[in-house]
Amino acid sequence: MKRLLSLLLVALMACTVVFAAGGSEKTTAVNADGTVTINLWYGAAITEAGPIPDDWVGYDILREEHGIDLHLSVLPSNESDQDVRIQAAAAGNSLPDLFMVSRPVLTRLVDQGLVAPVDDYYALMPNRTAQQYDADSIAMSTIDGHSYGFASPGSVAKNEGLLIRKDWLDNLGLEVPTNLDELMEVMIAFTYDDPDGNGKDDTYGYGAYIESDATLKGYPGARLFPILGAFGVDGLWCLEEENLGLNVYKPEFYDAMVYIRQMCEEGVMDPNWLTYKKDDFRAAWKQGRFGIMKEQNAAYAAEANYAPFDANFPDGEWIIVDPPKGPEGLASVGAYDQNYRIYAMSQDAVDAGKAEKICELLEWMSSDEGYFLCGWGQEGVNYVLDENGVPVAGDLGDNAFSGTQGQVYTQLRNMVFYNSDTELASRYPTYTTATSGKTMSALTALREMQSKYWTAAIGSGQMPTPNADVQRYYEQSLAEFLSGQRALTPENWQAFLDQFNAIGGADWNAQGVAYAQENGLVR
Amino acid sequence: MQRKDAAITVPKPNLKREIVRHKDVYLLLLIPFVFYIVFKYVPIFNAQIAFKDFRARDGVIGSAWIGFQNFQDFFNSFYFWELLRNTLFYSFGKIIISLPVSIILSIAIYECTHYALRKTVQTLAYLPHFLSWVIMYGVLFALLSPSSGILNDIIKLFGGTPIDFLSSVKAFPWVVLLSDAWKEMGWSAIIFIAALMNIDVSLFEAAMVEGANSWQRVRYITLPSIKPVIVTVLLLKIGTILDAGFNQMYMLYSPQVYSVADIIDTWVYRQGLLNFQFGLATAVGLFKGIIGMLLVLVSNRLVSKFSEGSSLF
Amino acid sequence: MAEATAKKKERVHLKPKMHNSTVRPTRADKVFQIVVDVFMVLMLIIILIPLWSTVTLSFRPNTYIGTYLEGMFLAPWDWSFDAYKALLGNNGFLMAFTNSLKILVGGVFCALILTIPLAYVMSVKSLPGRKILTTIVLIPYVFDVGMIPAYLLVQNIGLMDHLAAVFLPGAISTYNVIIMRQFFDGIPAELKESARIDGCSEVQILMRIVMPLSKAIVMTIGLYYGVSFWNNFFNAMLYIQDSNLNPLPILLRNILMAAGMNEYVEVSAFGNAPIEAIKAASVFMSAIPMVIAYPFIQKYFTKGTMVGAVKG
Repeated sequence: MKRLLSLLLVALMACTVVFAAGGSEKTTAVNADGTVTINLWYGAAITEAGPIPDDWVGYDILREEHGIDLHLSVLPSNESDQDVRIQAAAAGNSLPDLFMVSRPVLTRLVDQGLVAPVDDYYALMPNRTAQQYDADSIAMSTIDGHSYGFASPGSVAKNEGLLIRKDWLDNLGLEVPTNLDELMEVMIAFTYDDPDGNGKDDTYGYGAYIESDATLKGYPGARLFPILGAFGVDGLWCLEEENLGLNVYKPEFYDAMVYIRQMCEEGVMDPNWLTYKKDDFRAAWKQGRFGIMKEQNAAYAAEANYAPFDANFPDGEWIIVDPPKGPEGLASVGAYDQNYRIYAMSQDAVDAGKAEKICELLEWMSSDEGYFLCGWGQEGVNYVLDENGVPVAGDLGDNAFSGTQGQVYTQLRNMVFYNSDTELASRYPTYTTATSGKTMSALTALREMQSKYWTAAIGSGQMPTPNADVQRYYEQSLAEFLSGQRALTPENWQAFLDQFNAIGGADWNAQGVAYAQENGLVR
Repeated sequence: MQRKDAAITVPKPNLKREIVRHKDVYLLLLIPFVFYIVFKYVPIFNAQIAFKDFRARDGVIGSAWIGFQNFQDFFNSFYFWELLRNTLFYSFGKIIISLPVSIILSIAIYECTHYALRKTVQTLAYLPHFLSWVIMYGVLFALLSPSSGILNDIIKLFGGTPIDFLSSVKAFPWVVLLSDAWKEMGWSAIIFIAALMNIDVSLFEAAMVEGANSWQRVRYITLPSIKPVIVTVLLLKIGTILDAGFNQMYMLYSPQVYSVADIIDTWVYRQGLLNFQFGLATAVGLFKGIIGMLLVLVSNRLVSKFSEGSSLF
Repeated sequence: MAEATAKKKERVHLKPKMHNSTVRPTRADKVFQIVVDVFMVLMLIIILIPLWSTVTLSFRPNTYIGTYLEGMFLAPWDWSFDAYKALLGNNGFLMAFTNSLKILVGGVFCALILTIPLAYVMSVKSLPGRKILTTIVLIPYVFDVGMIPAYLLVQNIGLMDHLAAVFLPGAISTYNVIIMRQFFDGIPAELKESARIDGCSEVQILMRIVMPLSKAIVMTIGLYYGVSFWNNFFNAMLYIQDSNLNPLPILLRNILMAAGMNEYVEVSAFGNAPIEAIKAASVFMSAIPMVIAYPFIQKYFTKGTMVGAVKG
C-alpha cells in the first residue's frame, strides 16, 4: 500500500510539474513567406452575425501589398465576457498582438506589464491619427503618463433625447411640460386620464430601466438623467470646479431622489422600471405603455426599430423635447462623455518586432481603400455611392452592407469609423414609414438631440472605479430608498452617506478628485 | 490515510496477492487515472496562485508568495457574513425543495398507470432545463411583473395590491428557490427514474400478496430501493454546498434585492474576475472546497452509521 | 439486497406491469392512483407554462401588442416564422451547429470511455486501495479552483483552439462517476463473482455482465454529458479563438446579449423579426438534438431490467 501510494504521489507530482509550468513560446516576427502574422481580437459591429468570411478581399490585399498575415478573432458580445476572455489570456501570458480592451482591464494589464506603451507609434500613422486620435482620445488610453493603446471614437456623443408622446398631449389638451411641476402634472394625466383613449387603465407617465455603471452613469442610471439633470446631479461624477466629486454628496441629489420617489408613489412611473431589461423597455414603448422616456436616436428612429411602433400606432408620434427645468432653473438631458474603443498592443508583440507592422495595418484601415473596405465592403458588391458620395445599399439586396449576406464584411467597421458626416448619412438614411407614411430619419433625430442642453462630463470614463463592496453599497442603498424599503428621510440619507464613507466611499471620492485634478478633467 | 487503509485491508491478509489478483482492474484504471491527474490535479496545483501575488509574466511557479492575504481580503470584506448566509440559505433551500420535488415527480412517473400521461410528462419534464436563465427571466417577468404579470393580475382580481416579486426582499428568495425547482425538477428526476427502473418488480408482487396497499409499497419498497441513489445525490450536493447557482442569481438579481440575493459566486465575479484578482477568486474556490469537504466527511460518517452501503467511501 | 436476490431466483419471467393488475385494488390503491394522476396533470401544466410561452414567443410577429399572457393564446394563423427564417439564414448558424455536433459526439464518446471504467473500478469492493481512489476522485469535485488554473493547463498542453478543449476538461465529471458507481454497486455481486470463477477478465465482466445491465444509467450519464458539452459556453469562450470553430452556445449568447451591446442599433442580423422571438427561437433550435435524442434514451428505461438479466 505504501508503495502504491508513493507511486501515485510521484506520478501526480510529475504530471503537475510538467503541465503546470508557465511561460508561452514567443512567436517569431517573420513567417517563412516573409509575411508578419498579426493576431487581432476585435469587437464585432454586428455581434449576432457571423465572423468575416475567409474569402474577404482584405486578407489578400494585406498579405500581398503589406506583407501582413492577419488573423482575426471576434470577442464575445457581452462586455463582461470580453473582460473575462482578455484577462484569462493575460493570465496565461498569451495576449494577442492587438486587441480591444476596456479601460479598467487595461489598467490591470499595465500593472502586470503586459501591454506596450504606444506614445511613439502615433507618428507612424499620420493619416489615422488625424482622423481618429485627438487629445481626448489619447487621454482615454493614458495611464501614469503613457498612452497604452489606441482609442478610436465609439458611439456619437449626445445621441439620446427626452421623448414625449405628442398625440397623447394633444388628446388630453396638454402642453409640453417645461419644468418639474408641469412634468408631474403631465405624467399624472398620462397615467390616469387614459391618454390613448382605449378605455383601459394601461398607461404610465414615465418609462425607464436601470442602466448604470461605475464611471459615467451612476445609479439610478442614464434613463433618469433628465430628472436628475433638473437638479444638476446627472452623472456619477461632477467635474465642475466648485463641486468636484461624486454627485451623491450634493444636497440636490437628495432632492432629486425625493422627486423620483414621488413619481413612484404617485404611480406615474411604469412600476416595471426596476426589473425591465433593455429589451423589455424597448418592447414596452413600442406597445404604448408610457408617454415619456429617454431613448437613443437610432433605437427610436431607425427604420427597423420604429416599424413596430408605426404599425401599432399609426397616429402615434414622439417628439424630442427640452429637458424640464428644476427648482433652480437647471436642466439637462444628461451627462455625456466621449466614447472610445481602446485597441492595445501586447508587450510580446512589440518585443517580437511587430509594432511597425501593426501601425501599418491600422494606417491602412484609415486609408481610402481600407476605410471603405472595412466600413462597407466592396464597391458594387456591398455598396454603391450615391450622388453625394455616401455609400448606400442601392438594389444590392442581401449582399448590401446592411443585408444579411453582406453585413459580415463590415464587422471591422468599429475600427475605422470616426462618426464622419458620410458615415452618419449612410447609417441613418431618410425613409418613409410603412403604415403612417411619415418621413423619418435617425440623423435628423440625432441632430435635434445634440442641440439640447447636456452636462459635459468628458473624462468620466477614465475615473477610478470603486471596489465591488463600495459599488454594491452605493447601488443597493439608492435602490432601497427608491423602492421604499428604506424611508427617504434626511436622517436616513445622512446615515447612508456616513456608512458609505466608512466602507470606502470617501476614499473613492478622494481618488477621483485627485485624478480629475491631475489630469485636467476639471472644468 | 495510511492507518485507515491498513484497516480496510485487514480481512485480506496478503495485500500483495490481492493487488496481483486485481492487476487487470488496475489496468482498466490506467487511462482514466492519468486523465484525472492531468485535468483535475494540475489545476489544483495551479491553484497555489491563491497564496501568491500572481503575475502573468512570472507564471504560477515564479510569482511571489503572499501567504493568506487573499483569504483575508475575502473574510474581511464588508459583506462576508451576509454572502455566506445567503449562499447557505439558497443551497440548503434548493436541496430541501428541489430534491423532494424531483423524487416525488420520478415516483409519480413510475407509478402512473395512464400511458399517454406518463409518456407526455416524462418526455416534457426535462425540457425546461434547456431554457437558459435569460429566457426564464422573460417567463418569470411575464408571470410576476407588478404591472403586467399574470400573478399580479390575479391578485388585483381579488382586490389585493400588486407585489413586485422580483424586487421585493421578502418575495425574491422564494422566486429563486421555486423557479429553480420549476426549471430543474424534470432534469434531476431522470436519475431517479433510472434508479427506479432497476427495482426488482417481484418485490411488489410479494408485497401485494401480503396485502400491502400502494402507499405502503411506495413507503416500504420503492423509496428504500432508490435510497442509495438519493443519498449519493444528496452527499454530492452537500459537497458543493457553497455553489448556490451563479447563472440564475446573476440573471435575476438587482440592486434593491442585493441584501438577500448576493451570493459568494456573484461577489467573486464582480470583485475578482472583473478586476484581475485571480488569486482572490482562486482563494474563494479553495475556501468553498474546504467547507464542502468537511461537510461531506461529516455527512458521510452520519450516512455510513445509519445506512450501510450508500456512503461515498 | 440478499432477500431480493433470493426472490429473483424463484421468478422465471416477469412482465413489468404485473404488480398493478394481479390483485384487486383496494380503496387506498384507488386514492393513490387519483393522487398520482392529479399530481401528474398539475406537473404537466406547470411544465407547459414556460415551454408554451417560449414557443409562442418564438412565433410572435413584429407588430404584436398585448400582454405576455395574451401572447400565449395567439392564434396559429397569426404566427410569424420570421425568427426561424432569420436564424436559419444566419450565416454563422450552420457552422456553429456543425461545430457543436462535433463537440457533442467527440465529447460523449470520450466521456463514456473514461467514466465507465473508472466507475466500474470504484465499484469493485475487494480492490485494494479503493478508498484512496475514491478520495482522489472526490477531492477535485469539491475543490473547484476556477477559471485561471484550468486555463493555464489547457494552454500548456496545447489544446487552445481545438474543439477538444471544450469537452476534454469536463470529460470526467466526478458527479457522474459517483452516480454511475452507485448503480454499478447495485448489480448483484454474485453475478460478477461467478463470472470471475468462470475465468472472465475484468474487462470481460464489465462488457458482458455489467454493461448490459446498466443501459439506463449509461444512457442517462451519456445524456448528462451530452447536454453539458452541448451547452458549454464558458470553455468555448476561453479556449476557442478561431471564430470559425465557435460552437452554438457562443452564437446563442451573442444573440441573447446582442441588444445589450450593439451600438449600431439601426442594423440587426435578423431583419424584421423581433428580438424576443429570435431569442426564444434560438433556444429551441439549440435544444433540437437533445429533444430528438431523449425518446431514444427513454427506450432503455424499462422496468425490471435487473431481473431478466439475472435469469438469462
